[in-house]
Order: sequence, then structure tokens, then C-alpha cells
Amino acid sequence: MKYAFFPGCTLESAAEELMISTKKVASALGIELIELNGWTCCGASHIQDVDDFLATSINARNIALAEELGVDKLLTVCNTCTLMLRTSKLKMDKNEKLNTKVNTGLNNIGLEYKGTVEVTHLLWALIEDYGLENLKKTVRVPLKGLKVANFYGCHILMPPNIMGFENHMNPRSMELVAEALGAECVDFDQRLGCCGFHAVFPAQKEVMNMTGINCLSPKDAGADCIVTPCPLCQMQLDAYQPDAQKGFNEDITMPILHLPQLIGLALGFSPEELAINRHVVDAIPALSKGFLPV
Amino acid sequence: MEKISCKIKRFNGSEAWYQEYEVPYEKGKTILWLLTTIREEQDPTLNFTSACRHAICGSCAVRINGNAFLACNTPLDEVIETFDTMTLTFEPLQNFEVVKDLVIVWEPKMEKMKKVKPWLEPTANGSKETGFLQTEEEFHQIAAPTDCILCGVCASECNQLTVNQDGYLEPFILNRAYRFAVDSRDGSPEEHLRPVLENELWKCLHCMQCVSKCPKSIPLTDEIAYLRSETMKMGEMNNQGAKHAYAFHDDVKKKGRLNETMLPIKTDGLVHTAMTKVPFALRMIKKGKINPFHFPKEVEGIAGVRALYEYAKEVKD
Ligand code: FES
Repeated sequence: MKYAFFPGCTLESAAEELMISTKKVASALGIELIELNGWTCCGASHIQDVDDFLATSINARNIALAEELGVDKLLTVCNTCTLMLRTSKLKMDKNEKLNTKVNTGLNNIGLEYKGTVEVTHLLWALIEDYGLENLKKTVRVPLKGLKVANFYGCHILMPPNIMGFENHMNPRSMELVAEALGAECVDFDQRLGCCGFHAVFPAQKEVMNMTGINCLSPKDAGADCIVTPCPLCQMQLDAYQPDAQKGFNEDITMPILHLPQLIGLALGFSPEELAINRHVVDAIPALSKGFLPV
Repeated sequence: MEKISCKIKRFNGSEAWYQEYEVPYEKGKTILWLLTTIREEQDPTLNFTSACRHAICGSCAVRINGNAFLACNTPLDEVIETFDTMTLTFEPLQNFEVVKDLVIVWEPKMEKMKKVKPWLEPTANGSKETGFLQTEEEFHQIAAPTDCILCGVCASECNQLTVNQDGYLEPFILNRAYRFAVDSRDGSPEEHLRPVLENELWKCLHCMQCVSKCPKSIPLTDEIAYLRSETMKMGEMNNQGAKHAYAFHDDVKKKGRLNETMLPIKTDGLVHTAMTKVPFALRMIKKGKINPFHFPKEVEGIAGVRALYEYAKEVKD
């Protein structure tokens, strides 16, 4: 299995542990990821506020780079990158006038958007392409006894006309993967909550409040950790957790794992190999409580 | 016979409780049929509102299993399939005051809407005698936002409103501001835009709930992006939201990628960042999540990226 790979900006710095764990897991599963040469930031749901046409253009360029590799799919590990790329793709495929206008700009720089490549997320690819049965076969250390709270993040589900992999009001993909790895999934109120990351600057007070609620909800449900398919949710819930704690009397401590880290643990990698030690909220104690793959 | 178990949140003005009802399943019915059947056959004290039964009056929205729906145009079978259950929990819309059971109060929201001047401020290019003619294209600009039936679904699901009901505007209010700001017959778009900006426009979280659940498929998040763009064109650049958006816009032009280290400083300024973000920065540096000495290199093909910026400017002018 071969994909063009769009890492996104956070994987180069704040969420480098996601780059590390994604590469380890992909190679262990026999998935080849070819990083796009010259990819740019997807706009992170901000550039369209300045210039919508530009936002569509830069992502059409990213997709055109993937098309040149002759692959079927462009894979990301970030919800927002997936949404931004798919938004651009949908506009390019549906709006002929816009397509021509954007492609004129791309032709000027020697590129063309053809519409031959799908944009997918690792979570979807595992289910749709790799298959849960095959995933189960690769498990070396079943995550028995580990209670995980799946925090989907908004942008892997909505808007449904752009994302549409599963029903946005009752998704199951994260549970299916976690269960395939042997983990136990807990149900909690904020399972489909919003992390607030995209407005953490202008709405700091509100977003810190949301972070506290998002940590307490799975904690009350008895979860050992949160798992998320999005590095932005991860950053909001992990790196800002000490700031959020200041607004709460009760202890909100909740370790936050990236999806590939959870998979990596089941494949037999150590927490260090998956760079779980790079998190702000230490996840090792929670992992060693029920289980630790060493 | 198959039964649907309904758990309905009741409220009598002071106390709230959940009450259970069982209704024999019938194929091809709506959610409103289900509620009406309960009221007519089992409990005449159950309160909910509805009138047109055709998704026009906007009075029948409720929450089912944690998601807002318009009762009259939502097929029961679709809800059963979505949640994969015959047990449905009904609650009133969130982010509204509740009068009784599933009935909510609209008056305070209508008062709040007045802030954005939800009426036409006519241009000088028309008069009572000559009329205010629009081209077909100009008309299409207001076609989607005028579809709003004020059902409240967007407001119920808005994550910013849930934590900030006093400061933030309901998405349907933002839609109303947009509807007049883009109307070619309106001569003072600033009159609608300025109150929107002053009422925390930049606090939208991009959670996509409003646009995903709107029963009329109004592109609310595109409208919010437009409102933001327009306020920046008015020169309203000195706020965190605008600076944050431009930080991304400018970084991509410069290097192709985001400089995460500089982002807080570009958004909040050096002094504010130093005062508020130091503990955050230190813990990020400690874990190797921020490397203050790492500056992203220009991506391959950066000249092409910049050419796209130039091109986008050209086609806009
Ligand atoms: S009853 Fe009028 S919109 Fe549903």
C-alpha cells in the first residue's frame, strides 16, 4: 500500500511525536508513505478568512503535487489538514469556473490539478484500505485493560458533505480501531466535543474552560487516556491542560495520545519509541496501570 | 410489535425530570408524528411547539440523542438508523431558556438580533419611484441566507455559545447580518458588520456544527469567513483574530509553512505574549515541542507559491 503523505505543519515541530509514531507504525504495517515534496501549510482553517480563493489555490497545489506522484490517495494524520484539502478538492471538482481559474494560476507555475487523487486520513485508510482484520493480525501486545476515550475532533466528521466517511452524529471508526487493538472504549459526554484549538487566541477564556470539560468528561467515565486522530486536538488538550487546570478545583489530569501512538503500543513499540515522553501530561503512569508493553 | 422508547425531558417551570413513553413503531413517519402521537394518545400535558409541518415556520426543533433536528422534516427511520437504536432521548434545544418541556423562549434572541440591524439600509441608487433593481447574480447572493427559518438548530449546537451565551452571537444572527451586508440594495454594510465584529466575531471555533446541522443547508461557516474578510477590509486589523489569520497567510507566502514559535507573538504582540504565554512556552521547550532556534526553511517551489499569491491578487482586482 502506497500513499502520498501530507504531514502538516504541527508534525514538524510541536507534534513531532506524531511524525515519529506515524512513520514507525506505517512501516510496521507495510504502508509506504511518500512525503510530498514542497507541500505548504493547508491554511489551518484561517487563510480563507483573508482570501478564500487563495486558500483553495494553495491546497489545489498540494493535491496537484500528490497527483504527480501517480498515487490514488493523499494521506494525512490531521483532521484540519484533511478538511482543508478536501474542501479545496470538492470546490475544484464541483465548480468548473473556479477550477479553470485556479488551474490557470497553477499552469503558470507548471502544475495542474486534475482531480485524480482522493484525500484521506490514516484512520479512514486503516478501515477502508488496510482492513480491521489485517490490523488485528499485526497486534503483538493487545491493549487489554486499557480504557480509552476516543475524542474524534470536529474536522474529521464535519461538514458531512465534505468529510462524509461516517455519520457525524454517531461515528464508530475510532472505536473499531481501538477495539481491534484490544483496548476497551469508554463512552463519555464529550466524545464528539470540540477542542476549541482554532480560537485559542481570541477566545482563550472560553477555550480553556472547554479543555477542562473535555478532560473531566472522560475522567468521570473512568478512562485511562484520551486518544485523538488530530494533532491540534492533542495539542489543545495536552499542552494547554496545565493552563486549563487553573480554572478548575477538581483535578482534570488526563493523558492525551495520538492515534498512531495507540496503534504503535499494540504493535509492540515502547512508549519512548513512539515519543510518548514528549507529551506535557505524562501518559506513562496511565499506561503502566493496566498495561505496559515492556 | 416493535416499540420506540422515548425519554423526554420534562420541565414545569421549576423542576426538570425525564419521562418515558412507548410508542408502537410505524414505518415512514416523522419525528413530529412521534411527539404528536404521544401528546394525543398518552399525555396531553406534554408541551412542544409546531405549526406549519413543512419546514417553514421553524418552531419544531428539538434535540434527539444529543443532536438538534427539525421535528417535522426529519424521518423517524433516519434517526433510528443514525443512532442505531429504538431508544430516543428528547431534550429542548441548548443555549435557549426553556419555558416548559421542549418549548424554548425566543424573545431575548430577537432582542439580541437587533444589534446587527437586521433590516435594509437602502442605497442612494434607488428610490420609491424607480425601485431597487438587482441583477440575477446579486439576487443569488441573498438566496441562501434568506432561506433561514429561525428554527434555532444552529444556536443549539454552537460550541462557542455553550460556554459564552452573553458575548457571542447566535449563528442565525450572523446569517442575518450577512444577508444584509451582501445585499446590493443595502447602502451601509458597515452598519451590520461593525456590531458583528464588536460582538466577538473572531470567537467562532470553526467546529462546523452550525453548517452541518442547519436544516436549510445554509453555508454559515462560509458566511462567517466573509464577515471576517469584510471587517478586515474595513481596516479592522488590530485584533487577535485578524492578526492570527494574517500570521498564517504571511507565513505560507514567506516560507510555505507555519512558524509556530512566532505565532503567539504575531497574534498577541511581544508584550502580551511575554506576560501570558511564558509558562506555556517553557513547558513546550522543555518537552522539545518548541525549538526557539528552529526556523522553517523555504519549501521547494516557494517561488511558485508566491506566484499563486500574486495571481490571487490579480484575479481579485
Ligand atoms: S412545524 Fe414548522 S418548521 Fe416544523
